[in-house]
Amino acid sequence: MAGSAVRRIVIVGGGSAGWMAAAALSALVGRRVEEIVLVESAQIGTIGVGEATLPTLRAFNATLGLDEIEFIRKTRATFKLGIEFRGWNPDRTFFHGFSDFGPDLRGVSPHQLWLRSRAAGDERSYADYSISTVAAGLGRFAPPLADRGSVLGSYSYAFQFDATAYAAYLRAFAEARGVKRIEGRIVDVRLRSADGFVEAVLLQGERSVSGDLFIDCSGFAALLIERTLHAGFDDWSKWLPCDRALAVACARSGEPAPFTSSIAHRAGWQWRIPLQHRTGNGHVFCSSYVGEDEAAQTLLGNLDGEALAAPRLLKFTAGVRRASWMRNCVALGLAGGFLEPLESTSIHLVESGIGRLIELFPDRGCEPKLAQEYNRLMARSYESIRDFIILHYRASRREGELWRYCRNMTIPDGLRHQIELFQAGGVVALYDSGAFAEPSWVSLYFGLGMFPRRHDPMADLIEEAALSRELQRRGRIVAGAAQSLPLHGAFIDKYCRAAT
Amino acid sequence: MTEPGQGAARGLRSIVIVGGDVAGWMAAAALARVLGPAACELILVEPNESTTGGADGALPNLRAFHALLGIEEREFLAATHATIKLATQFHDWGRVGEGFLHAFGPYGVDVKHELFQAYWLARRRAGRPSPLEEWSVTGLAATLGRFGTRPANDSSALRHLSYAYHFDAGLYARLLRTHAEKRGVRRVEGEVVDVTLNDKGRVESLRLRDGRAIGSDFFIDCSGPDARVIAGALRTGYEDWSQWLPCNRAVTIECESTGDPTPVTEATARASGWQWRIPLRRGAGCGHVYCSLYLSDDEAASELLAVAGDAPLGDPRLLRFTAGRRANAWVANCLALGDAAGVLEPLEATGIHRVQTGLGRLFALFPDRDFDPAISAEYNRLTALEHARVRDFLVLHYAASQRDDAPFWRHCRAMPLPETLTHKRDLFARAGRIAQLEEETFVPASWLAIYTGLGVWPERPEPIIDIVGAAAVAGRFDAMPETIRKAVATLPAHATYLAEAAGIA
Repeated sequence: MAGSAVRRIVIVGGGSAGWMAAAALSALVGRRVEEIVLVESAQIGTIGVGEATLPTLRAFNATLGLDEIEFIRKTRATFKLGIEFRGWNPDRTFFHGFSDFGPDLRGVSPHQLWLRSRAAGDERSYADYSISTVAAGLGRFAPPLADRGSVLGSYSYAFQFDATAYAAYLRAFAEARGVKRIEGRIVDVRLRSADGFVEAVLLQGERSVSGDLFIDCSGFAALLIERTLHAGFDDWSKWLPCDRALAVACARSGEPAPFTSSIAHRAGWQWRIPLQHRTGNGHVFCSSYVGEDEAAQTLLGNLDGEALAAPRLLKFTAGVRRASWMRNCVALGLAGGFLEPLESTSIHLVESGIGRLIELFPDRGCEPKLAQEYNRLMARSYESIRDFIILHYRASRREGELWRYCRNMTIPDGLRHQIELFQAGGVVALYDSGAFAEPSWVSLYFGLGMFPRRHDPMADLIEEAALSRELQRRGRIVAGAAQSLPLHGAFIDKYCRAAT
Repeated sequence: MTEPGQGAARGLRSIVIVGGDVAGWMAAAALARVLGPAACELILVEPNESTTGGADGALPNLRAFHALLGIEEREFLAATHATIKLATQFHDWGRVGEGFLHAFGPYGVDVKHELFQAYWLARRRAGRPSPLEEWSVTGLAATLGRFGTRPANDSSALRHLSYAYHFDAGLYARLLRTHAEKRGVRRVEGEVVDVTLNDKGRVESLRLRDGRAIGSDFFIDCSGPDARVIAGALRTGYEDWSQWLPCNRAVTIECESTGDPTPVTEATARASGWQWRIPLRRGAGCGHVYCSLYLSDDEAASELLAVAGDAPLGDPRLLRFTAGRRANAWVANCLALGDAAGVLEPLEATGIHRVQTGLGRLFALFPDRDFDPAISAEYNRLTALEHARVRDFLVLHYAASQRDDAPFWRHCRAMPLPETLTHKRDLFARAGRIAQLEEETFVPASWLAIYTGLGVWPERPEPIIDIVGAAAVAGRFDAMPETIRKAVATLPAHATYLAEAAGIA
């Protein structure tokens, strides 16, 4: 059996997914395989969407042993405490931060404590108990303390970075660990007649690259998983109708914010991702409700600096590959599925795909049970993130055709139950423990103005005056702690400013 | 959007628990503790003083329940004739004459389960098999009959020691009753003869044989498998799982015992079922679970008496049951707990555990008088998942057995399995991975013990070992059995611990 170990892994496509896979596989299974090869063509551009990330990227980088300061400098990264949502709720801007709203009290969740206090006439905002929200509002940042019990140890953070620079950084990392890069354009794929496994990719100029395990990181083209193996695609555009994005970078103005902004527009929304040297912007929209020209005007009219190029158009369909692992081919990144970058989940999904591939690492036979388990786990991640993104549209009270459509569309059963449960009693049901947790869902429900009909009756067991005092104390601690942090720009200057 | 604010006004004013026994009194004690002396009245209705006794076992998180209630271990041990439970010893399940241990707690010392499992399987493949209990402080302590507790900050391998209890269920119910009544639960003695529903289809009141009526906002049905309220009155169906768990009878008996009690439940496979032996402080509880299609009640009882090495006390008691779960454990203003919510044979001792998790879910989803169906739907979703996971774990014990010496076992080997279990078993058998689905009760360490104990070994090698580098892994693991042996050797004998902890010399 030992003789059937995978000897050669072929990664098809560079870009962030491809080089993340190359870096992780070279670090973690490099010793076991004879060779890891990455085939990419300099002629094919990479998408480079997903410049904002989730905190899980830090664990991924740590697994590789990357030095955080070096990583930040190389990718011109800024720190991210969460996402600011403007215009999604017509009444006010809200924040989805990487922290909770304080600890439980006598087994009662903090958002329930707030609801109970609010019912008794307390007018303080729930956001006052979220350290990431308050710090972001002040433009302040420092990494959390190790002490999880302290409010300054109770939040997490991610990065906003240049994805192309990240891919280049990981390329150097992977090549130093023996990954071989082959420049070439793939013109055909050869399957083994006996079992339909991918045998080799054929490059322009009559070259071929053969392998035992293929990682399809070819982006929307999905060269192996779809064009060759016909895995099939579950189209989710009936729930996520946005199908275009226009992306443009603009000059930076002022200090970079320690958060990503999402600004709702007539038929979509705009991202604003501050990096050290520039700001990434994009307008995600639905082509049924707005034309490209108007969408471009909206984007260019909402930049806070001079555009550095003409906007680039991307076309997409929300959805997921029916099987992202088929035979000896595993699709990662856009080849595996697409969800709009509203919650910065693209790179996170690449990380979890790589992590699960390593946990379920096959031998040359590629036991179908491993693929089945991988596909089960990935489907659960994609679906739970999908539902979280749908919620943003579903619960928005914004006017406009797109928004009306989303308010009235039939939504997945699981999400319907989640919304009904929250409206009934403020309870958050989670289907995937690895995805967005209770504070994230609460941030969205409350932020969009969805409040339950009643709070947790257990909160009524806490004496009102005592609760009020406790919440006052917590608010004071959060405000003081946030104020004690350095300004985000000053922190970057001191520790990790990229060379210009 | 509705503004919040009506919370307190719609709170429950009263809760009636129907049925005593362990489930009923667990509910009563926990509600009284959590709700405190608030405006909510707590009443438990049970037909008579004597609760059903018999030895029972628990899972380790019962200790968290006791911490919640403020029940000290010393008090519990003394009141319920309890012993420590570290493991279940299985005999004759995989093949007649073979046995294996399913111990609580993790394997190895400070190592992720996946890595331990990969190492242990690779080691066996390399011709160096080693029993699982050598890799578990809990398993080794179980084998050697040792037990002791350690300070919370203990840094030795003993911090991986995990344990539960064996105890007398009747005495446990009495202990819980004391705690519940001390905290204001009112006990009403009487037999429920009728249940009145209101025009919304909710339970309005119970009528007792003596004519009294007891009304309430909320009812907790702990009346056992008959489920007088949720099934009898509310007509909630039952999902029958006997196609996968064909055992439908149990005959039980209390025994006198000589010698010190072991910290281990014994589960011995028989021709048409299996037999348990649960050691208590004095004596033991024995039982024979079987399928009536293959064995008569008389045969079952005489088989039980013949093999119970201990001297029987009293006559055997017979129980009939059908494995399965209530279609919905929470309907309108009635929640079912215990056997009213689902019946799974005592293999792996999940009965009391499921009452505890049910109460946990109730507190997380606590209702008001509106009984919003979305709240009970969430309770029912989670409860259904939990039961299906436990079911699959129990079914595995039968389905993966290699026995073909009796019609019952041949039936079990041939029966079609739930799809979820087929996926899990095949993933392990072919690729050596353990799938965890939502709401699992049993962790991968437990699944590993059962699979391999029954003779299911993965077909393919474990690449993860090569990933880490074989030499590094071996160096880390090779010293573990000795570390574990040394740590366990510092523990007192189980009987000594009991005598000292419970203050009974």
